[in-house]
Amino acid sequence: MRIGIPKEIHPGERRVAATPMTVARMRKLGLDVVVQAGAGEASDYGDGAYLETGATIAPDAASLWAQADLVLKVRPPEAIPEGELHEADLLKEGGALIGLVWPGQNQALVERLSLRRATVLAMDAVPRITRAQKMDALSAMANIVGYRSVIEGASHLGRFLGGQMTAAGRVAPAKVLVLGAGVAGLAAIACARSLGAVVRAFDTRPQVREQVESLGATFVEMPALESGEGEGGYAKEMSPAFIAAEQALIAQHTESSDVVVCTALVPGKVAPQLVTSGAVVSMQQGSVIVDLAAEQGGNCALTEKGRLVEKFGVKILGFTDLASRMSRQSSDLYATTVCNLLADVLEAGGVDIALDLEDEIHRGVVVLQDGKLLWPPPTRPRPRSAAPLAAAAAAPSTPVVARAPSRIGPLLGGLVAVALLAAGVVAGGEFVEHLTVFLLACVVGWHVIWNVNPALHTPLMSVTNAISGIILVGGILLMRTGSIGAATLLAAVAILIATINVAGGFLVTARMLRMFRR
Amino acid sequence: MTDTFASVQRLAYLAASLLFILSLRGLSTQQTARRGNTAGVVGMALAVAVTALALRARGPASGAGMVHAEAWGLLAIAIAVGAAVGAMLAARVAMTSMPELVAILHSFVGAAAVLVGIANYLEPSADASDAVHGVEIVVGVFIGAVTFTGSVIAFGKLRGALGSKPLLLSGRHVLNALMALACVASTVVFLRAPAPAGLVPLLVVAGVASVLGAHLVLAIGGGDMPVVVSMLNSYSGWAAAAAGFMLSNDLLIVTGALVGSSGAILSFIMCRAMNRSLWSVIFGGFGAAPPPSTGPRAPVGPVQEATAEQVAELLAAARSVIVVPGYGMAVAQAQHPVKELTTLLQKRGTKVRYAIHPVAGRLPGHMNVLLAEASVSYELVEEMDEINPDFKDTDVVIVIGANDIVNPSALTDASSPIFGMPVLEVWKAARVVMMKRSMNAGYAGVDNPLAYKDNTVMLFGDAKATVTKLVAALQAKGGTA
Repeated sequence: MRIGIPKEIHPGERRVAATPMTVARMRKLGLDVVVQAGAGEASDYGDGAYLETGATIAPDAASLWAQADLVLKVRPPEAIPEGELHEADLLKEGGALIGLVWPGQNQALVERLSLRRATVLAMDAVPRITRAQKMDALSAMANIVGYRSVIEGASHLGRFLGGQMTAAGRVAPAKVLVLGAGVAGLAAIACARSLGAVVRAFDTRPQVREQVESLGATFVEMPALESGEGEGGYAKEMSPAFIAAEQALIAQHTESSDVVVCTALVPGKVAPQLVTSGAVVSMQQGSVIVDLAAEQGGNCALTEKGRLVEKFGVKILGFTDLASRMSRQSSDLYATTVCNLLADVLEAGGVDIALDLEDEIHRGVVVLQDGKLLWPPPTRPRPRSAAPLAAAAAAPSTPVVARAPSRIGPLLGGLVAVALLAAGVVAGGEFVEHLTVFLLACVVGWHVIWNVNPALHTPLMSVTNAISGIILVGGILLMRTGSIGAATLLAAVAILIATINVAGGFLVTARMLRMFRR
Repeated sequence: MTDTFASVQRLAYLAASLLFILSLRGLSTQQTARRGNTAGVVGMALAVAVTALALRARGPASGAGMVHAEAWGLLAIAIAVGAAVGAMLAARVAMTSMPELVAILHSFVGAAAVLVGIANYLEPSADASDAVHGVEIVVGVFIGAVTFTGSVIAFGKLRGALGSKPLLLSGRHVLNALMALACVASTVVFLRAPAPAGLVPLLVVAGVASVLGAHLVLAIGGGDMPVVVSMLNSYSGWAAAAAGFMLSNDLLIVTGALVGSSGAILSFIMCRAMNRSLWSVIFGGFGAAPPPSTGPRAPVGPVQEATAEQVAELLAAARSVIVVPGYGMAVAQAQHPVKELTTLLQKRGTKVRYAIHPVAGRLPGHMNVLLAEASVSYELVEEMDEINPDFKDTDVVIVIGANDIVNPSALTDASSPIFGMPVLEVWKAARVVMMKRSMNAGYAGVDNPLAYKDNTVMLFGDAKATVTKLVAALQAKGGTA
């Protein structure tokens, strides 16, 4: 199979879907790789570097797409600016494509690709399970974006982030507010903290408090109305009343912040508006808002997508290309996740894609298989992970093994009940009296024991053991008659051993209980 | 006069019954436990005293016979000797040997029940022609005999005198059924036989029941001993209740039923904690018997071995530590050095807790007793359900001589004999230190994949010596974390 790496054509996109390093890995897997001339230039990888790893270079897009059986991309295929062509139409009939496809938002594109009988795997649809973390391109990118957002914000802020004591005066540390503690938010917190800022973070999911605090930031508490934990560790969309309360709370905190980083996104939805224009007005002159949600409408009311604007003395950064602003790093990480997914979907030992639709990862990423629409995958319960980053720590959830209710139990119980009833009817009189006492005592014993503290199981057992020595009384009763004979001697032996039990049981219990002390 | 005394006796028995209920009730919390034990002692003293006095009061009524002084003398000697032996056992036993002691004491109750049953039959005044009474005698002897030999086998397994592996004869259920049938047949013969001649079938019942009891317990693996011991505890109660039926004594019935049902509940609680069916424990061997191939398997994969110094480093750097004690700690008597280690860590500012699996050790609550002996505050000791969610935030977990209760294959490997048993999920912690004597499999005979995990290090050696070394290494580091 021949892999094709085209040059990305989206304006401002500087990443590339394969680096010389991942090309070398693919070559080792037995794959041919063809790279479009200049594909890696914006990520500081020249054509020479690819050639060295055994790739061939295609002079232009048309020849690259014509040669490749599988195309690796960053952005979804789009219309090529000069000419009438669309990347999707360039894909080989029956070819394959791996990239950030966003099938939910790009339905027309998916239809177009299905006409090519294409097999399409979406990097944005990798399920968030432990096993798939090495293929999780979104988290890898979010991490970079979070880091870069603080760097961008700091570069537009006219002061230090960290506090300093200098001969020229004391500098207080800057205050950074991070809205949304997903992967990007946590990366922003870590970066801002390492530059010395005082960081507060806000999230609708109370579960992420621990992660926020572990990075040295203060968690801004939202009075509990509803939890924002949605499926698969992402946030969910909240009610209007909740959002109003949220905006008021955030306004209190933005007022005193030098940098506000907005990272709140709900998958596939317009971003929630957290910072109102009123909140922007009340911020200090020279403060900076970095809005990572600009692509989906922005968390700030005044954000303009892709631009830096200044409103009421506050700089608002609506850049959507933060990952491309660190293109080498982004390409390295993205290419690695793509290569990991590719290795996972290749048939064992072979060079062709073999999808196993029973596999949770394969089923998750596949959008089209030979032109057949398989997206979205059927929903299945996912292991809960408190938040994206926590997925690293989340192990597979404990299987709860339910034991089939035993049929012997009721059956045996029924038999015993019938036998006792029959015995009562046959024996009558005294026996029935004894049976009454016996059954009532069983019920009492049953109830008395239920709430025992497990730490006391051993003392309890030794005390019940001592009490069962009551058989001693039976022995004594048998000594009431007759001369000393076999019966009385046997009874005496019974008394002796039962007494060992009584004395030993009570004394050892007392000894144990003396040890249980605070 | 005699009638008055009979009423007094009944009231005293009622008081004793209530005291026993209070005793069991008191044992359910730490605050009331000692009072509970005292209530039990008072109840028992009352019951014995009143019954002994009744010997004197009733003697004449049953006609000329045994001289009271002789009966009293025999009684006094039996009680004095029994009490002395019991006291000695209680004072001498090491806390680590509690399971054995409890098991052997159960066997005494069983044996006493058998003797009481036979003596009752031999009693000249006994009316053996009464079928109901005859059945009562047989049932008492049967339960007593099963309890007796079952407890002796359990004692042997706990002592290590017998192998811990279950003895699974093919067709063992058929064998059990045959033995039960044999007992029923003997009972029929016994009921038809005239007074002294019934002794033979009665002894046959006792003999067959003894074999049955031994066989039932032999079929249970060592890892399930906590359940077996509490099951036998229950049986000893039923034996006492059966004796009550044959002697028409309500005190015995009530007390036996109390002990029997409380023991049954305790076993039920244990079984639930292990995801086992209670019936499979009663009838020996687990419902679906583990295939022979699931014996100890050859260890797979490399393990990382550490020295005490390296582990001390780990502990010194940790902010939170959880100690998971197992039977190995009991065997090595390591509870005191362990307490010393954790005190040292606490002084350094480390958060230390203990995690107790419901079936750690060989007796329910075994570990709690050992830790209490070493004066570990029981507020530091947490149960499985409380502490399982905390492992992921813990820096170091020290597993001391525990194996099956921390085995991840219980959750993941459907072919494992312990599959489905809830376990302490120690592997979620950042680091796990596993102290073991060797790479041998645990009591259940199952290999433990925990040892091969990347975040696990092994510290081989006797638990007591190793922990003492750790304490020394940690002290040598001095300072606080």
